[in-house]
Amino acid sequence: MAQRSNKQDRKYRKKNSKALYIIYIACIFVFFYLPIVVTMVFSFNSSKSLTRMTGFSFRWYERLINDGSIMKAVYVSLTIAIFATVISTVLGTITAISLSKNRKIVKDVVHNINNITIMSPDIVTAIGLMILFSSVMISKGYFTMLLSHIAFCTPYVITSVYPKVRQLDPSIADAAMDLGATPFEALTKVIIPMLKDGIYAGVLLAFTMSFDDFVISYFVTGNGVENISIIVYNMTKRTNPTINALSTIVILVIVILIICSRLMPHLIKTHAKKLLITGGILVIALAIFAGVRSGGRTLRVYNAGEYIDPEILAEFESEYNCKVVYETFDSNESMYTKLKSGAEYDILVPSDYMIERLIREEMLQPINWDNIPNAKGLNPDIMNLAYDPGNVYSVPYFVGTVGILYDTTVVDEEDLKEGWEVLRNPKYAGNVYMYDSERDSFMIALKACGYSMNTESTEEYQKAYEWLIDQRNTMDVVYAGDDVIDNMISGNKALAVVYSGDGAYIMCENENMDYIDPQQGTNEWCDGMVMTTNCNDEELAECFMNYMLEPDVASRNSIFVGYTSPVKAVADELAETEFEGISAYVPVFGGAKNEVFRYQELKLKQYIADLWTKVKAY
Amino acid sequence: MKHYNKLVRPYLIWSVLIILVPIIMIILYSFTTGGNALVNISFTLKNFTRIGEPIYLEVLKKSLILGLISVSICLVIGYILAYFITRFSDSVQDLLILLVTIPMWINTLLRTYAWISLLSDNGLINSFLGLFGLDAHTFMYTDFAVIIGLVSDILPFMVIPIHTSIRKIDPSLIEAAHDLGADKFMTFRKVILKMSIPGVINGVMMTFLLSISTFVIPKLLGGGQYMLVGNLIENQFISVGDWNFGSALSIILTLIILIGLTLMKRFDREEKEEAVDGAKK
Repeated sequence: MAQRSNKQDRKYRKKNSKALYIIYIACIFVFFYLPIVVTMVFSFNSSKSLTRMTGFSFRWYERLINDGSIMKAVYVSLTIAIFATVISTVLGTITAISLSKNRKIVKDVVHNINNITIMSPDIVTAIGLMILFSSVMISKGYFTMLLSHIAFCTPYVITSVYPKVRQLDPSIADAAMDLGATPFEALTKVIIPMLKDGIYAGVLLAFTMSFDDFVISYFVTGNGVENISIIVYNMTKRTNPTINALSTIVILVIVILIICSRLMPHLIKTHAKKLLITGGILVIALAIFAGVRSGGRTLRVYNAGEYIDPEILAEFESEYNCKVVYETFDSNESMYTKLKSGAEYDILVPSDYMIERLIREEMLQPINWDNIPNAKGLNPDIMNLAYDPGNVYSVPYFVGTVGILYDTTVVDEEDLKEGWEVLRNPKYAGNVYMYDSERDSFMIALKACGYSMNTESTEEYQKAYEWLIDQRNTMDVVYAGDDVIDNMISGNKALAVVYSGDGAYIMCENENMDYIDPQQGTNEWCDGMVMTTNCNDEELAECFMNYMLEPDVASRNSIFVGYTSPVKAVADELAETEFEGISAYVPVFGGAKNEVFRYQELKLKQYIADLWTKVKAY
Repeated sequence: MKHYNKLVRPYLIWSVLIILVPIIMIILYSFTTGGNALVNISFTLKNFTRIGEPIYLEVLKKSLILGLISVSICLVIGYILAYFITRFSDSVQDLLILLVTIPMWINTLLRTYAWISLLSDNGLINSFLGLFGLDAHTFMYTDFAVIIGLVSDILPFMVIPIHTSIRKIDPSLIEAAHDLGADKFMTFRKVILKMSIPGVINGVMMTFLLSISTFVIPKLLGGGQYMLVGNLIENQFISVGDWNFGSALSIILTLIILIGLTLMKRFDREEKEEAVDGAKK
């Protein structure tokens, strides 16, 4: 009797602990899957918000399909993954087979190389490849990305195939050859079929590793070649559910792939040949498709992220019967690094000080203004500035200032009279976004201390550095990138340093926000279109510049991006219509203490870069 | 099989070109100055002495601490999860492990983005807390956000090897332990824990490697001021353009990882030797 109750007790306890297991596992799975589910749910949101569901719609899927750069990225990710998988599987498999009976030293060498690749962090592999490609002058792009993917996939294939090779009976190949098979036949008809499981695991691993890769692709690509991850990374500026729509599709495809491969390994194995052939045909078709598309005139444009209305690009393409290879950067500095590492473009859209630097380094060529009749509409106030006297090299694209965006419901008007010092006002501690940019942050600190933002005095920089460090200590500031836009639209903090154009966009979305240009003076900036010395088609490049200044085009572009148009008539008109009451759209030009950024000597630049790293790492 | 020995050559050539040469170049860069031009290079140790500045040491320390915290969290959560999963029948285990692997296949960037919309001040978690009348918390741009993002990214790499090693344990060993009078806790400690050490070591190595070198997650969830060694390297290459200093940093990062892995391996070996000694006795 006692025994029985004991048994029952145990059963009961077992049940109880099972329940505990299930609850725990469920909790962890919520943690795993919550982000994934949230991504998918918000891809169907009818509004732009990523935090509030307002209704169900497919509009972001539509946007996705119509977005040329995203579709191109999907194409790049897919083809690279397929090519890299095929090549690394072949290379990895034959290497694994050849290893099994090789000399010990060869085995050790290969194993160590594999361990190096698998065990070294992505970022180190990435910079190694980046240095390699730029020093042997291979132009970065599709090919370099493919090579890099093969490089990091192959070791994984070898490690998944090799154990299977070791399980093989070594005499099996000899037996096949004794029976009259050639070594090649023995390899393809006897050995490889026996390694199926390992190869198959290798394929799956290589494909997903390549398809999902960000870090390595980010460092080794160029010339307009971007995969899905890079697009996602550069799309931070205005996060919108298009990315969620893309993620949803990617997630579904991967989940289906994995489930298929797990549930139907048998099916796949027996039909491996057919699948391989279909895959091969698909790849070739895709390659031909890509080849066909790249015929005709092309224009390679390198612009900041989310800085153009994509429809305008499509219209330009059809009007001039050409193809625009459009690539985006996230900062002037990263654009410069890209150029220096061998990437080539026809048109760039950098900021003033970067234009000056490029002019000094003779990387730009003069523009023939006769080919740009629309130039007559440009606002004379923003022409002939110090960075490019006489506008020999640059055509203004957007203009503005850097200022403070503030929440009118939180910030006291009185405090704003302090100008930049409001960013150090302890009342708003923990309530401030700074902009994650070296030049802008030092500009603020220099102006707040009453210096010129183009000072060359290291003492003044030291003062500015102390200002920034003091701000970090007392204010608990966040150095946000372009995510500041979304955050301010949601009203997450009371004060933020923004570009006037972003300010205008935020004010359109959140009516509590207002914008001021601080009285200590600020940066008046101008982003301009410039033509590089390795431009292939000057005529088309000038057509593009002219096209962007066409009143209708300039107007739509300005509405889409939110930045102030350099075309005076357009800016004046929009200030009264689309952007009525949005002070940030009409930044105050010509403020007495305002300046334009100038070129910095390399030595000073490095000094500041070092200070900046220290501010951020503090 | 010896017929195929020569087939190793293409890979040897390939790996020298694309794996070894880059490593040599990083080393070369780290010991020289002269920027990217490679024309006027000169030998120097300056890049390494610069790392000794307190501010950079602080970055290294922060990366190391954050890495260790994430790894420890993963170890605790992951071990329990792996152990609980092994309590189910084989087919359920397969399914559960499949569910653990699926997030691994999905792009880190995409999942990190989702965390942003969950953790932001007006995000879903705060709205959820609001339902219970709780005040909104600032999660974004804190250590908490970075650790959450990191742990959710690397946890599967901890769970899978541990699960594999626990699953491999012969059930008769556990029965034997019971028969010999060990209670549940003792069996767990002396048999299961001991025999799952190789899995734990694998998991710790993998997660340590991933967490210490990350730069995307801290940048997105921690903000621009969140500087870990990965971000510092990215900065040097992408925005500052000081490839020499960046290379020196990468070498230090690689060394830290190598030291970490060697320590783990030694621990593994000692553990095994002890087991062998135990068996001999």
